[in-house]
Amino acid sequence: MVRIILGSVTALALAAPAVAAPLAVRVVDAAGKPVRDAVVTFYPNGQARAPRAGGRYVISQKDLQFHPFLAVVPVGAEVSFPNLDNTRHHVYSFSPAKRFELKLFAKDQSRAVRFDRAGVVPLGCNIHDQMTAFVVVTDSVWTARTNAQGVAAFADTPGGPGRVTVWHPYLRAPGGKLQQALAAGQTRLNFSARLRPPAPAMHTDY
Amino acid sequence: MPMGRFRSLSTRLTVQFALLFAVAMLGVSAALSTFIAGSASRHVAEQLQSSGAVYDRLWQQRSRELQNAAQLLARDFGFRAAVASADAPTIQSALDNAAARLKVRSAFIVSADGRVTSIDGGISPRETERLWAPLDEGRLTGVSVLAGRPRQIVAAPVMAPNLIGWVVFAPTLEGREMRSLERLSAIPLHAAVLARSGGAWTEAAGSVSVLSPQAAASAERHMATGATFQMKVAGEKSIVLAKPLPAFAPGERAMLMLTYSKAQALADARVLQAALAVMTLLGLLLMGFATWRAAGRITQPLARLDEAAGRLASGEHVQVRVRGSDELARLAASFNEMVGRIVEREQRITQLAFNDVLTGLPNRTMFHQQLDQLFRTSEANGSLFALHCLDLDQFKVINDTLGHPAGDALLIETAQRLRHVARGHFVGRLGGDEFVVLQSVGVDRDAIDRLARDIIAAITVPVTIDGNEFVPSTSIGIAIAPDDGRDGGTLLRNADLALYRAKEAGRGTYAFFEESLNKRAQERRQLEADLRLALERGEFELHYQPLFDLEKNRVCSFEALLRWNHPKRGQISPVDFVPVAEDTGLIVAIGAWVIREACAQAARWPADVRIAVNVSPVQFHRGALHETILRALAASGLEPGRLEVEITESIFLEGSETTLRLLHALRTLGVRVALDDFGTGYSSLSYLQSFPFDKLKIDRSFIHNLLTRDGASAIVRAITELAHALNIETTAEGVEETAQLVELRAHGCSSVQGFLFAEPMTVSDVEQLFRDDRLGIRNVA
Repeated sequence: MVRIILGSVTALALAAPAVAAPLAVRVVDAAGKPVRDAVVTFYPNGQARAPRAGGRYVISQKDLQFHPFLAVVPVGAEVSFPNLDNTRHHVYSFSPAKRFELKLFAKDQSRAVRFDRAGVVPLGCNIHDQMTAFVVVTDSVWTARTNAQGVAAFADTPGGPGRVTVWHPYLRAPGGKLQQALAAGQTRLNFSARLRPPAPAMHTDY
Repeated sequence: MPMGRFRSLSTRLTVQFALLFAVAMLGVSAALSTFIAGSASRHVAEQLQSSGAVYDRLWQQRSRELQNAAQLLARDFGFRAAVASADAPTIQSALDNAAARLKVRSAFIVSADGRVTSIDGGISPRETERLWAPLDEGRLTGVSVLAGRPRQIVAAPVMAPNLIGWVVFAPTLEGREMRSLERLSAIPLHAAVLARSGGAWTEAAGSVSVLSPQAAASAERHMATGATFQMKVAGEKSIVLAKPLPAFAPGERAMLMLTYSKAQALADARVLQAALAVMTLLGLLLMGFATWRAAGRITQPLARLDEAAGRLASGEHVQVRVRGSDELARLAASFNEMVGRIVEREQRITQLAFNDVLTGLPNRTMFHQQLDQLFRTSEANGSLFALHCLDLDQFKVINDTLGHPAGDALLIETAQRLRHVARGHFVGRLGGDEFVVLQSVGVDRDAIDRLARDIIAAITVPVTIDGNEFVPSTSIGIAIAPDDGRDGGTLLRNADLALYRAKEAGRGTYAFFEESLNKRAQERRQLEADLRLALERGEFELHYQPLFDLEKNRVCSFEALLRWNHPKRGQISPVDFVPVAEDTGLIVAIGAWVIREACAQAARWPADVRIAVNVSPVQFHRGALHETILRALAASGLEPGRLEVEITESIFLEGSETTLRLLHALRTLGVRVALDDFGTGYSSLSYLQSFPFDKLKIDRSFIHNLLTRDGASAIVRAITELAHALNIETTAEGVEETAQLVELRAHGCSSVQGFLFAEPMTVSDVEQLFRDDRLGIRNVA
């Protein structure tokens, strides 16, 4: 059984400074609906704290899908990629954060990849186009995913000034992320994100 | 009149109908022409539409081809790796490779974060950046203007596995594809793709030159409807189809423009239209000609009629030719009939003026014209001509006894005979029974005699009128111009004188004019005048010539003979004055006096002596003879049986019915009737059968020739035997010799009269004779 440790806010917030401030970031789409599973990261100015890398992370391939679809891991985390399908998989990522290729040609074959740079690592399978997953390698402890209300709340942050970035697998934005400055004393930020519908499986005929 | 005022109906008809037909034909031609042009335009429009559809297919095909290639490239693992890692050389070589395969010059990668890697240096990064937004929006195909030229943009996303960018092919929409499209079309159209990015429409390497703003606006307007329209392209009127093409970037527009030169489109139509125009023109000419001909056919007869009417008005007699049986022909026929009537009427008027109504011969007026004409001719060339004047013998008698209708019939018959016998000469009637013939004569004077004889012969052919047959006769007086007269009046007078002479010479003959006739004519006129006074003056007396009865040998009767003692000329013979008296009608009064006188004298004579009185036919038919005799007998107390009326056969000429009635009336009185001059003239045995004459007096001519001619004796014998058989007495006249007497006795003649016995004597001599009782015949063998 693979333990999947999610970089939870509480876990990351243990190393919060004495002076703590709450921060709530709300992400809505163009229609004003809350966007869940957006990854919100807060970088206080000059007081960045990288999360502690530890634990094992697993992204399995089962039923021609990556599981989980979205994984937030700290910098330096090692993620193993077990193939639970009968088919072969050719897992790759061309992301600047981590370029790798894993040719998993047998069932139960498992390989591990170490993500040592912060950034978003999209995963694909060269054999199965529809297989996509994202690994968000974060270097900030204030990293959280928005809930069903589109809110990511941080109980204790150093407070502003700083910057908040928002990333989402389907986000449409130059550079692939949204970013706003957090002023001192500011505890709330609202993001409006334009989302792409999930990419359809591409057909060769059109 | 709606049309102009044409002088000629033909022109009017031609113009009217030609105009009518022209309008109709032009209308039809215009409609046809429009239809041809329309159908040509429609045809072109259809062609353009189908070409448009073909282009759509081509466009899609090309689009698919490019997309397939783009997708293929975008999927390639190595390529994705290169794009993801922004490995420009790899990317470019891969793009070069694909572009070469696809025959595309412009291909580039637009990365998701907006970076561009291109193989076409001509396209600036700024331009490609514009593409990011639509690419990001998910547009993968369309038309966009890059480097100033419209291009077909075909993109494929590069997924690694998320979207990291797009492979974009941007081939120019250049001539080659347009040409192939043009080749696919059935008509030689021009195809071009135009695109607009912001300002003006620009054109790829199509064959349509840059559009003016107005044309572009027009094209844009029509683009929505999908219908063809017409506008000027490159200065040439064209039929155009504008099809919108999908634009790639917002604010951009693109269209496919198919144009076809209208002139070319309508070239065939123009040929057709030209042919139609030629046909129309020919048709019009033909129509004009046909109309002209038809109008001519209608109006020619009318024109002929018009001309004929004009000529008729100027006095000519024209007939127009009648062709066919339509109204015009009937009109022409009516016109001819009218002309005929006019001619007839003119002739009738002329005839009335110059012709005699009864016989149709030229009348006196025309005769004088003809005469003048002949005089002129005669003066000019010295030729002769003869004037024959003739009248019918005894015509008055015929007219009076048979009535005027019979007389008219005789005149008509005479005219016909004259016309026939004097063919080639002028024949006229001057009035009554007076006819004239003008005969031109050459050198042969005998021709005049011949003609006169021929005329007499022709007239004396027996004729039947009212069932009575009799033989007319004519006398002719002839005067020859210029000898016998240098003018018409003189010539006619002289011919008349010659006619009197001919009548005197015995009827049924002809005579030429001599100067002496002039004198005689004057004498005769004088005689007529004297004769009128003679009765009043008591210048007449009767002489009596005894008749001897050869059986009883004594004087049995006296014939009363009229004598006229003219105060200047002495005694005038009855031969000289009786015809005049008959002609003038004086004979009636004179004759009545004779009967009274004779009866009065005879009453004083012995009772066995009869008195014979000559009665003229004129008296007989017009003189109320019956009454005269009745009165004379009553006045004198003379026994009717002692009065013997001597008539000649000529009285029967005026119709035997009336004559016989009169004779029977005399008979009823008891008066004897003797037929005088028997054997001459009109002797007819039927008279003897139809009336029981008491006596026949054999004409002196037979007695004169009795001893010298064989026939005479036979005739006298025949007469006496016939008379004997009919129980009629006979008297021989003009007995001068004893031998004659002997012969007459032998023939059984009843009585004789003549110088052998006694000449006519006065009353006193007769009375002396009775006193001397010398009534017996002496010295008679």
